[in-house]
Amino acid sequence: MDFKVKKIDEWRYLIPKKGAMRVPGLVFSSSELMPNMKDDQSLLQVVNVATLPGIVKHSLAMPDIHWGYGFPIGGVAAFRMEDGIISPGGVGYDINCGVRLITTALVASEVRPRIKELVLALFKNIPAGVGSRGEIRLSRKEQRNVAAEGASWAVKKGMGTEEDLERTEDQGVIRGADPGAVSERAYKRGHDELGTLGSGNHFLEIQTVDEIYDQAKARAFNLFEGQLTVLIHSGSRGFGHQICDDFLKEMATKVKGAGFDLPDRQLACAYVTSDAGKRYLSAMACAANYAWANRQIIMHRTRDTFEKILAMGPNELKMKLLYDVCHNIAKLEQHVVDKKKVTLCVHRKGATRSLPPGHPDVPVVYREAGQPVLIPGDMGTYSFVLAGSQQAMDETFGSTCHGAGRTLSRKQAIKAAKGRAIHRELEDRGIYVQSRGRTTLKEEMPEAYKDISLVVEAVHMAGLAKKVARLRPLGVIKG
Amino acid sequence: MNATDLNYQIIDHTADLGIVVKGVDVKDVFIRAAQAMTDLMVKADINEKGAKRKVLVEGEDFPDLMVRWLGEILYLFDGEHILVSAIEISSISPIRLQSILTVVPLNRGHHEMLREIKAVTYHQISVQRVHDGWEARIIFDV
Repeated sequence: MDFKVKKIDEWRYLIPKKGAMRVPGLVFSSSELMPNMKDDQSLLQVVNVATLPGIVKHSLAMPDIHWGYGFPIGGVAAFRMEDGIISPGGVGYDINCGVRLITTALVASEVRPRIKELVLALFKNIPAGVGSRGEIRLSRKEQRNVAAEGASWAVKKGMGTEEDLERTEDQGVIRGADPGAVSERAYKRGHDELGTLGSGNHFLEIQTVDEIYDQAKARAFNLFEGQLTVLIHSGSRGFGHQICDDFLKEMATKVKGAGFDLPDRQLACAYVTSDAGKRYLSAMACAANYAWANRQIIMHRTRDTFEKILAMGPNELKMKLLYDVCHNIAKLEQHVVDKKKVTLCVHRKGATRSLPPGHPDVPVVYREAGQPVLIPGDMGTYSFVLAGSQQAMDETFGSTCHGAGRTLSRKQAIKAAKGRAIHRELEDRGIYVQSRGRTTLKEEMPEAYKDISLVVEAVHMAGLAKKVARLRPLGVIKG
Repeated sequence: MNATDLNYQIIDHTADLGIVVKGVDVKDVFIRAAQAMTDLMVKADINEKGAKRKVLVEGEDFPDLMVRWLGEILYLFDGEHILVSAIEISSISPIRLQSILTVVPLNRGHHEMLREIKAVTYHQISVQRVHDGWEARIIFDV
């Protein structure tokens, strides 16, 4: 389908409604990032999402948008409850893929000589890589408990604190998760993967706070310049992948009788209030909860490893969870549309929630500053901490970007990395990396991603979240 | 085995990984697609001796059948830790595929893991007759 892109201002581009589109597309980007998108099909995917029933206001794209399958990655779309849809492809296979950031009382320069040792120990203690299996083998009953309880399951088992839960999006649990809506296959895929990082773009990174942009918010988030931090990026593993797969297949078959055409089979969906829609929401919640338990356990192991390697106690290390955000999810949320408060089904596929100061869902400790927004870069570059904003509530259903977004395909990245020792190049830049997979480092090398600084600048300038601090990697473990 | 022997090519897709597979007939393209996916995930001798397992897959048309077929093999790999080493398709129609797989337990000491495939997507899936046989385009979520 042909479509036009009109520049509205420095940070906003409109795709006017045309053909089967029910709403216009709105892309947050910049003159530096926009040309990248012309080469792939991500903008066409924004258009395709705009054709889905019940979509409200705009089919949205964040500055890190890239070509996904069905929905673009970096896409946000909200649907009405009464006539709108829910789509497993609009969440993605890695349900509740997300990040959590741990702050410490450590000054990075003092720990610098021990980084290699820490990375090696973390690599040993936290299973990573293709099909990584954990030490935790769950009975079916326990798996169902994880699916229903989320991060609190891990805390009950002694792997974390109540404070960790307070500082996790939705307290680490989506209520209404129905373990009975999950297939036998998903349980089988998930039974030995809890507490594992996985592969691809997932990682655990030791970092330092490199620059502070907003002192007051940084103080509220307990961040100081030179501080050592740890960022964990993982999701719901095979459990979530299978749940997405199961429902996509079911909906791909049923959608034919639903009375509307899909431009791409991967957009398969069901009405939110239909039987399939409700069951998917309940099963998706199980996967989201599994992911929160997973990141909670990985954090627990990280704390343990630091204590052992540095021979320091928890009171000295003060490894506190700053926040945990998910960036692949669909949620029923209250938003104001045409001055009326309505419940919408908000899909964020590669997008982060961004709640403003004062919002009741922001933990009390951050209520004045706004919700912490964590944006991981790729392994060689910076990550960012931002704070949620009212502008995001007004324009993007409280959403902002989620990361750098790929710019090279994996094939192109491997070609570009030919004959190079990526781990050596990173070490020369002061980043010690351990990775499991043979091709991971090449596929995930820094040049494969958009410049995260440009992405963050675009959301900051558009007002979708405000920059608080920049984090520079010192050590990385990857799958 | 490498991509050339297995008659598949990797196609560029920014986020994910895609392949184009060719076969002399429709059975062949389904077998080669499964072999190609396995080849992307693990380094192993195909044709390793193992147990037999019957697999039946039903779909709506060839593209849907392909997604479900590869999904089945991916599940065996990821859910049951079983590697498919040989494939015989006894019958195939656009809505039904019957096969007998030779399977071996996945052994991390023996089989080198190369890449995680999360899922087989419907995105731009195609399975069609071309001038010199059959061709499938498949995009994986990795």
